[in-house]
Amino acid sequence: MDPLIMIGAVTLGGVLIGGGVHFIPVGGAPAAIATATGVGTGTAMLAAGGGMTGLITAAALTGSPLWLILAAGAVGSALMLAVTMFVGNWVYVWGVGCVPCSAKVDIDPISKYPQDKYVTPGTEGHGIPTVCFVSGVIGGLLGGMGGGLAYWAVYTALIDKLPGYFPLLQAKLAIPPAAALAGIFALGLFFVNAVIASYNIGGTIEGFHDPKFKRLPRGVFACIVASLVTGLIGVLLLKGVV
Amino acid sequence: MPDVNPRMTLALGLIGGLIGIYLTPINPVLGPLLAALGGVCAIIWGADAIARVASYGLGTGVPSIGYMSVAIGIIGVLAGLAGGLQIGPAYAILAPLIGFVLAVILGGVVALLGKRVIGMKIPILVSCTMELAGASALSVIAFSAAIAGSYLMPAILVSVVSTGFIGLLFIMNTMAIQHPFNACLGPNENRVRTLKLAGATSFFAMTIVGILGIGSTRAWWVITVIGAIAWFISMRMFIQASEDEAASTAWSGWWPKEEGEELRGTVHEIKEED
Repeated sequence: MDPLIMIGAVTLGGVLIGGGVHFIPVGGAPAAIATATGVGTGTAMLAAGGGMTGLITAAALTGSPLWLILAAGAVGSALMLAVTMFVGNWVYVWGVGCVPCSAKVDIDPISKYPQDKYVTPGTEGHGIPTVCFVSGVIGGLLGGMGGGLAYWAVYTALIDKLPGYFPLLQAKLAIPPAAALAGIFALGLFFVNAVIASYNIGGTIEGFHDPKFKRLPRGVFACIVASLVTGLIGVLLLKGVV
Repeated sequence: MPDVNPRMTLALGLIGGLIGIYLTPINPVLGPLLAALGGVCAIIWGADAIARVASYGLGTGVPSIGYMSVAIGIIGVLAGLAGGLQIGPAYAILAPLIGFVLAVILGGVVALLGKRVIGMKIPILVSCTMELAGASALSVIAFSAAIAGSYLMPAILVSVVSTGFIGLLFIMNTMAIQHPFNACLGPNENRVRTLKLAGATSFFAMTIVGILGIGSTRAWWVITVIGAIAWFISMRMFIQASEDEAASTAWSGWWPKEEGEELRGTVHEIKEED
């Protein structure tokens, strides 16, 4: 594969990951004590869970057409995030005993349920209401698709090159190292873009209805540049500095 | 409060890490051991760098910058090792250095984006992220070299990347670098105590690295045993330091061993010591 296509795919993948993180309801430490809406942990943990699951499901379809790899990555990440949010809600509802509600909107844009009546005074909402859940699933789909795209690009580029660069490896033996290299590269890309997006949202966000979501263009621009540089460095895996 | 000079940890991590990596080929047992110790030096440097930058309050938690730096480190290291190999066999010796430099550059780019585009207001963000990325890169190369018994790409590809240990190194090095400050942060954080915990986490990582090397290096049991002993010593130092600085000790002294015995340290004595 042309290295330029690989750089392009890695950049696009990074943008999808960084953009996807803006959709995920990251609640951080306040959500962990049920005083803010969202999943009670930081972006890095959600990226680890969603990103790794997406990469495993994408890698399981290695050798399939591109659209199937992208779909597998997207479904894997979205499923992992959906399960995380759903089980998190059990804890908030039956463990803490609070109603999932958002403090950023008066009426949930999707379920049309009123929100402000249920927000405990002194908190910024709690749990994961419908709009946050839907937003999180969209984020998981985008992020998983980006991770799958980056994995596919690096793997396809490597599989042609590895036997030539490492004569010890036969063509068949090149599959595990190529898959592992592409996997760890895509995982690294996932974390870099997830943390840049996390810096952009200041650590916490509720989803696409949050006013902080307006910062999306700035975050996407930062992710484009960071992923482009990552892609340029990644070409060394294939070409070497001549 | 005793403070740690950032230049000292930088020198320890950079020089110790690079010496450890480049001494890997000298002996099949001593080499990997030195590489693992180099990784420990790099992790202590990283733990100090993360403590400096995260004291400003990132808004995203201490682990996030740790994960990002080690991700950058791994991308730089793999690209550098592969790239260095392809210039020619004579330049293969430069490969770890290229990996380190690439990681530092990528760390600098990401930090500049954070500062210029996103507008984060942390004055030392760029320098500290570059240090962190470099420390992570050195720790990953050093531990990979300790597992594979060589710092060259073919050996690392076969015994670290293909086996999936690289993913374990990713999470383990992140934990070793970010946990010390994440556990010790607060208004009475004492950097010496934080670095004692960094010693404990890094030697624990070294112990695991020794076990990972069972299939590929003869030095695995040496690394494991030395790592475990050093972990025990540094963990005891950390627990001792925590007990000495705990509020109940600092304010009212140790409880008497037997009835009637006087308190070991009184408020008065502690104040004089400070």
